[in-house]
Amino acid sequence: MKLLRTALRVWLLGLCATAATAADKVLYVYNWSEYMPEAVLEQFEDETGIEVVYATFDSNEAMYAKLRLVDDKNSYDVAVPSTYYVSKMRREGLLAPIDKSRLKNFKYLDTKLVNQPFDPDNQYSVPYLWGSTGIAVNTDTVKPDALSKWADLWKPEFKDRLMMTNDMREVFHVGLRVLGYSGNDTDAAHLEAAYEKLKDLMPNVRVFNSEAPRMPYLEGETDAGMIWNGEAYVAQEENAAIVYIYPEEGVALWMDNLVIPKTARNVDNAHLFIDFLLRPEIGRLISEEIGYASPNAEAVTLLDEEVRSNRTVYPIDADLKNAEFQTDVGDAITVYEKYWELLKAGRD
Amino acid sequence: MKLRAPFRTAVVALIWAWMLLFVFLPNLLVIVASFLVRDDVHFVRPEASLESYARLLDPVYAGVFLDSLGMAVTTTLVCLLIGYPFAYAVSRLPARVKPLLIFLVILPFWTNSLVRTYAMKLLLATNGLTNQALLGLGIVDAPLRMLYTEGAVIAGLVYVLLPFMILPLYAVFEQLREDLLEVSSDLGAERWRTFRYVVLPLTMPGVLAGCLLVLIPAVGMFYVADVLGGARHLLIGNVIKNQFLDARDWPFGAAASILLTLAMALLLYAYYLSARMVRRRSADDALA
Repeated sequence: MKLLRTALRVWLLGLCATAATAADKVLYVYNWSEYMPEAVLEQFEDETGIEVVYATFDSNEAMYAKLRLVDDKNSYDVAVPSTYYVSKMRREGLLAPIDKSRLKNFKYLDTKLVNQPFDPDNQYSVPYLWGSTGIAVNTDTVKPDALSKWADLWKPEFKDRLMMTNDMREVFHVGLRVLGYSGNDTDAAHLEAAYEKLKDLMPNVRVFNSEAPRMPYLEGETDAGMIWNGEAYVAQEENAAIVYIYPEEGVALWMDNLVIPKTARNVDNAHLFIDFLLRPEIGRLISEEIGYASPNAEAVTLLDEEVRSNRTVYPIDADLKNAEFQTDVGDAITVYEKYWELLKAGRD
Repeated sequence: MKLRAPFRTAVVALIWAWMLLFVFLPNLLVIVASFLVRDDVHFVRPEASLESYARLLDPVYAGVFLDSLGMAVTTTLVCLLIGYPFAYAVSRLPARVKPLLIFLVILPFWTNSLVRTYAMKLLLATNGLTNQALLGLGIVDAPLRMLYTEGAVIAGLVYVLLPFMILPLYAVFEQLREDLLEVSSDLGAERWRTFRYVVLPLTMPGVLAGCLLVLIPAVGMFYVADVLGGARHLLIGNVIKNQFLDARDWPFGAAASILLTLAMALLLYAYYLSARMVRRRSADDALA
């Protein structure tokens, strides 16, 4: 009899759980890997009773392909493309407009980071985090003065010791900047020159990684190379010898943005979630934990002094000399793709 | 045993439906896509073209293809070198321990091979377990660089695919009759001749089957090259995956995939021919 009662209770619990996760109480989030603290998701779930189903990607390209492919029944409610993918997806009608009247925390955003050319008036996107792609060096094994610019990565002493992000646009940013071109160049001849230049770098490259670019440094596999500033910040906490450097030719700047795909299943919950993330207190938590800069001006004022004054996360103006924001390169993307493939397929 | 007609019809229909839905139709889609043109919005544009195949002729892809094949062949040979003596040894053991050992060979299948590949990473890393052990024992002074090398990719492939070599070999060794070996030795053949003229021909079907079962997946396992090779050793499987996921050039990805399928079909045909030859030769030997 006792057994029967237990069974009944389990069954009832299961029933409640199913009821609680009915369609309107679920939110499907598609974000970069290691880009949101678990605690933030838990707090949102506790406050709203909405269950968050969280999936991750490691490149804009993969995210885009997935969103293109899924139908209305399997889509995501919130995705986090970088600026240049926001403009592309907006142009192609993949995004649902954002109703800013439902985002009472939108006002906290830094006015310098809203209403940008990639999405005028933020009709389709809300800034989430911004950061830079620069150089990391393990000062235990490399003298830090050996590296001050991207061009230094070509030095023979780095043979088989470099880490590059597995991101076509970022790697080409390095090749283009070293040659003095813009990291957003669309000229096929310039891209070919960058490819030739990067080919010379390949013997130095040990690994491409965009899942967790700090890991090869922490594992001791690589001593220098590319990294995202937030990853460098997290790596420093584990190994203080890993230092982030703003190269002279300029870092690549990017901003990732919350968007609602056109195929979203629950637009209301998506707005609730975005507004939740815009709360200064939540913005502070994310920035401190993930190590990227918050576009939320109010959140920045709340930051721990140690983080706010950390140049890896919040660069000073001198660090951003020559820095470039990544923009949409339009059809030239196929030229990038061609040379990216050739670069990786190269056998010499 | 004779199956009852309705049951048999149902089973056959189910298998046909399965093959049609999950093998034939997807392959048909791939074939059709490979002859179309890339489209940024809808992935493919219904416009006939051989452009994707023309691109495959680029020597860079020939290099990638040969490299992948070379890597797969090396993997197969290593598996054979380990698997052959292993299968022989297990088949000669007392009957009560055999099932346990074969069970241990199959056991890793209970864990997803991607997870096991990540586990390999922990073993091979510069700060990993192997290096720590070697350093601790004083065998090496500086950690060995094993991860993100071609050797690491081959080690990963061998680890994942070894059971596919062992199982068919074990099956043929199980059927190898002990008395044939005794006859050979009674007739004055020393061990090497017995192996060369009796054991090897009789186990050849297992060798061929094992090689095929290892070689074919080895060409396509892109994630092993990604995780253990550092995404730097582009293999044909990576090219196909990148076209579909990152570059979104479906026609080109489809064409590359068809090239791979054709190469595999060629291998299967070679297998069929050699298996027939082996059979015929043993039949001849039996007559002689």
